[in-house]
Amino acid sequence: MRSETHTLLESTRRHFFSQCSMGIGSIALASLLAESKLGAAPTGPMTNPLEPRVAHFPAKAKNVIFLFMAGGPSQLETFDYKPKLNELSGKPIPESFVEGKRFAFMSSSHRTDLLGFRPTFKQYGANGTWVSDYLPHTAEIVDDLSIVKTCSTDLFNHAPAKLFMNTGTGQFGRPSLGAWTTYGLGSECDNLPGFVVLQSGPRGPRGGAIHWSSGVLPTTYQGVPLRNQGDPILNLSTPDSVTAHQQRQLVDTLRELNLKRLAETGDQEIGTRINAYEMAYRMQSSAPELMNTSDESVETLDLYGIKDANESSYARNCLLARRLVERGVRFVQLYHTNWDHHGGPTENLETHLPAICKEIDKSTAGLIRDLKQRGLLNETLVIWGGEFGRTPMGEVRESTGRNHHIDAFTMWFAGGGFKPGTVYGETDEFGFSPIDKPCHVRDIHATILHQLGLDHEKLSVRFQGLDVKLTGVEKAHVLKELVG
Amino acid sequence: MIRTLTLLSLLSLSLASLPLHATSGAENAKISFDRDIRPILSENCFSCHGFDEKSREADLRLDTYSGSVDESGVIVPGDDSSSSLVDRLLSTDDDEVMPPPETGHKLTSEQIEKIRQWIAEGAEYQTHWAFVQPVRVEPPAIQNVSHPIDRFIQAELASKSVSASALANPATLIRRVSLDLTGLPPTIEQITEFEKAMAIGPDEAYELLVDRLLASPHYGERWARWWLDQARYADSNGYSIDAPREIWKFRDWVVDALNRDMPFDQFTIEQLAGDLLPQATESQKIATGFHRNTQINQEGGIDPEQFRIDSVFDRVATTGTVWLGLTVGCAQCHDHKFDPIKQKEFYQLFAFLNNQDEPTLKVFPSDVDAASLMGEKKQVEKDLQSLVDQHSKALADWESDLNDETKSSLSKETLKAIEVAKEKRKLSHQLILLEASQLLGEGSTIMRWQDRIAAIEKELGRGTSTMVLSEKSEPRKTTVFIKGDFTRPADEVQPNTPSILHPFEPQSQSPNRLDLARWIVASENPLTSRVIVNRVWQQYFGRGLVETDSDFGLQGSSPTHPELLDWLAIEFRESKWSLKELHRLIVTSHTYRQSSNARSELNDQDPLNLLLGRQNRLRLDAEIVRDVALVASGLFSPEIGGPPVYPPIPDGVMGLGQTNRKWNASTGNDRYRRGLYTFVFRATPPPSLNVFDAPDGQSSCTRRIRSNTPLQALTLLNDTGFYEFAQSLEKHIEKDGVEAAFQRCTSRRPTEEELALLNQLDTLGVARALLNLDETINRE
Repeated sequence: MRSETHTLLESTRRHFFSQCSMGIGSIALASLLAESKLGAAPTGPMTNPLEPRVAHFPAKAKNVIFLFMAGGPSQLETFDYKPKLNELSGKPIPESFVEGKRFAFMSSSHRTDLLGFRPTFKQYGANGTWVSDYLPHTAEIVDDLSIVKTCSTDLFNHAPAKLFMNTGTGQFGRPSLGAWTTYGLGSECDNLPGFVVLQSGPRGPRGGAIHWSSGVLPTTYQGVPLRNQGDPILNLSTPDSVTAHQQRQLVDTLRELNLKRLAETGDQEIGTRINAYEMAYRMQSSAPELMNTSDESVETLDLYGIKDANESSYARNCLLARRLVERGVRFVQLYHTNWDHHGGPTENLETHLPAICKEIDKSTAGLIRDLKQRGLLNETLVIWGGEFGRTPMGEVRESTGRNHHIDAFTMWFAGGGFKPGTVYGETDEFGFSPIDKPCHVRDIHATILHQLGLDHEKLSVRFQGLDVKLTGVEKAHVLKELVG
Repeated sequence: MIRTLTLLSLLSLSLASLPLHATSGAENAKISFDRDIRPILSENCFSCHGFDEKSREADLRLDTYSGSVDESGVIVPGDDSSSSLVDRLLSTDDDEVMPPPETGHKLTSEQIEKIRQWIAEGAEYQTHWAFVQPVRVEPPAIQNVSHPIDRFIQAELASKSVSASALANPATLIRRVSLDLTGLPPTIEQITEFEKAMAIGPDEAYELLVDRLLASPHYGERWARWWLDQARYADSNGYSIDAPREIWKFRDWVVDALNRDMPFDQFTIEQLAGDLLPQATESQKIATGFHRNTQINQEGGIDPEQFRIDSVFDRVATTGTVWLGLTVGCAQCHDHKFDPIKQKEFYQLFAFLNNQDEPTLKVFPSDVDAASLMGEKKQVEKDLQSLVDQHSKALADWESDLNDETKSSLSKETLKAIEVAKEKRKLSHQLILLEASQLLGEGSTIMRWQDRIAAIEKELGRGTSTMVLSEKSEPRKTTVFIKGDFTRPADEVQPNTPSILHPFEPQSQSPNRLDLARWIVASENPLTSRVIVNRVWQQYFGRGLVETDSDFGLQGSSPTHPELLDWLAIEFRESKWSLKELHRLIVTSHTYRQSSNARSELNDQDPLNLLLGRQNRLRLDAEIVRDVALVASGLFSPEIGGPPVYPPIPDGVMGLGQTNRKWNASTGNDRYRRGLYTFVFRATPPPSLNVFDAPDGQSSCTRRIRSNTPLQALTLLNDTGFYEFAQSLEKHIEKDGVEAAFQRCTSRRPTEEELALLNQLDTLGVARALLNLDETINRE
């Protein structure tokens, strides 16, 4: 018995120091993956729950940056140009459009009179794509964008709709898109989390952590907020009175002690734990290194519109997003609040919408340009959009605004194999409903997964007798025309 | 975070290759529909040829004998070569073969062979095992083994020619059973005493230990968390606004009910319908908080009815999951695809839970006699009012006689009262004026009476609100909702239970929640007792006898030990639904007490340890990770119950939600309370609990995931809270040495080698290492 233990200890140690950089692993995860019908379930012991995995079929995109415009940006003041709306501003929308429809604020400020828009639209790029003058920088990169004007969703209140955009359902407890992605593909970065969440704007997104939840999947796959203040990752810093040397010594000693326990008990989970400590230790230096943008050139900072390299802003988050995908982080989600322009004192179309457009415009375009010039855009999928759009009808509050609208809104995609310079789908004369090529949130999900090499029908996990999928039970379509 | 899971359904797959009731010569064994065939059909065929009429293809159903034999003839019992089902399964033509290639399903030749053999043997259908009443089978006789659980388990082990593992050593054993029953590790004194007692009489020593632990008030805390997961308990309203709510009285009710070993049937009835019991007590009303743990959407512009209905959907689904182990929520939009539950039946269940108001109840400490205080207050106020009324004329005269000069001598308070318009004056205003007017002369008793009212109000202010259910006098009309969409009502339905289960016999003409609760705990119910014993078993072994603990339906996995499951279910019911007796029964078995160390020959035979030839080594639940560190560091505050507390969390955590909620870290003992008492905001759950997979109350969680991540390492290494624990443990090391500290964390003594490794570190380093040990956060 003594010699058996000894051999196991020795072979485990050898395994750690010579054979694999990531350590040994977890029976539970191996079986989870076997269950998941992934393209290539690992056959040997799992080395690391986030180890890169082979997709179902060859991928066009390796990484994702999702620029989530929280609150629901108006498509009618940005991309969906509807001159008719200005012609008929103040007139009631024909009854046929709204019959039987439900909206938010039904009992208070919701109205049925059409509302014209203020910005001027012009055509840009090779295909003469309409973009409003609220987004001058974005207008210059339309040849890199796939603009989808016919997005639709099911839920018209913020928290449920955000949940729907992230998890494909308004039900609580399901994994988010980022969690599904890292579950399906792992991450190519071994010193940062595979799914990272960044935030800017006056407040966090409504609903908080449920939007980057791993739901029924292990927390390994949940989004990790990367913060601009304090520790970038919670508990990243070694306690003040502990030196780096002491911390390293501690992690080394822990490994030795844990290896002994592994030899004693034969529990492979201990191997995973040893590995987790190694990664945590690496993260302690790699995350500050990531956040330290002093190595970026003045040109780059200018490109994003970053005035102070340490500012906490959407612009800096865009730069961090690039630095993250550069390091192989699989899924980056940026939330920027607040796009909820009802016409209240701090949320109207006259002042606040142009202001927030300005906040994001230069940096967003800068991100696309930067990714492109570094050769990262073809393997990175950038997504821009919110949880829903705004109504063609105005709302009556202190100033001008629009209500939540779920039937048609605009999102755009860049890189990751999406056809550049395209506009997909058409809406009616008021931008109320799709009249050509509708695109439901589940189609968007299916298409994103497809570009990542994942089959939305196969990427599933068994839960309460059902194969739970991001795209749910209704049929979802990959938008083949959009991705060629 | 994680709901009920069935991650390891790999296990259920391997069950097929591991027939647990195999007789010798397995190839000749008779095929069982329940065990061998239904899982294949359910997985591959029933979604188009099953119970759900609307999605049924070719008018063919394969889930009943009449469907596949009488109506369609695709199966000819006893004649597999004439059964067209077999031809279709074997076909190589893409248009012919079943299941169709685009479904992504395909049967293996082994599965087809099984179906063929089953047809040849007569194609006998059985009712799904879980819908049939459990049957008590006498535990198999095994030499020298008396404990019934061990007799079932070891009979299976013997049939595979493997043996159970040896008893775990005393230190492991006392740590294991202490953590499992109370969620707290044993003290060094308790360990030493137990080791001594074990040397004298192991069985007696262990039984005494179990008695002590079951009698500990911490037992209720530990098992309350198990139940609160299922109740989706948290301390905020969820959705975007996520305002704090007060419902911790419900949490304390659960702790108390478990400590008093309230029979599980009563425990069920009080939570589902305590308010409807005759002369319902305050405690019984508090219990109905169970179904108030749904979220409340407070964002602007919502239709409140939509979210009320969403919470009723949640209540129906949660009731199904928690008590029936059925995924009834699947029938919200359509007939269940796999289980015989019609959409209409979902709404019949919905009808029980659709007739409530959702008030809060004011609860007072036992030393506050709220009724008499309120009565007294009323009387005093009445007396004072009549005093005012008697002098109203004189008072009015006094007031109108006031001029600027006389006014200047009046108090601020009086002037304020004068400014209030006459018709708007409250009693308190009138009393101030009456006093100022001196109409009653010097030394009036008004102020004394007012002080009394203030004192009463202060006493009453010691009450706490808690969210409860109450029944509407006029029930709401309940209809089916087409596709689960509340804007599309269809046929009206009346409260009723699913017809696949035991009959519903309500006591009244208009059945309500109380009838539903009684139906759930009726002795004819084949599910509830099985589901609950399975979920308790799952806590002790990391996996239930039925892997899919919340799906006992057709898609669920078969029990590894069906006879043991039934035996336990009946035993539980017949022991007056006593959870404590169930715990005692399980933890006194050898199966529970054996070592968890891996054994290579066992591992070869049974890699997933389904046969339980050893215990399983389990990572502690999030709260217990904290509790162990608290106890080890000597900071632990054993106080039970009360409002949730705020141990320190990293800065900025609360800013991750829409509203940046306050988190003023508790000081004093409240800083060191058990994880159970940490305030949980649903939108911004406490990081150190969340990272170890504590659920956030979004939906019912019947089984936690045990993840193993770098963020857990960062938490234990660097979190302010854990660092504080390490500093405290450092002091104990300085006083009592490394060996004792090692024992505080792991309950065992370190080896020489381990000591040598630790001694390379400074004292604080040793303390941090000990709190970070994998062994410290596991129970072996």
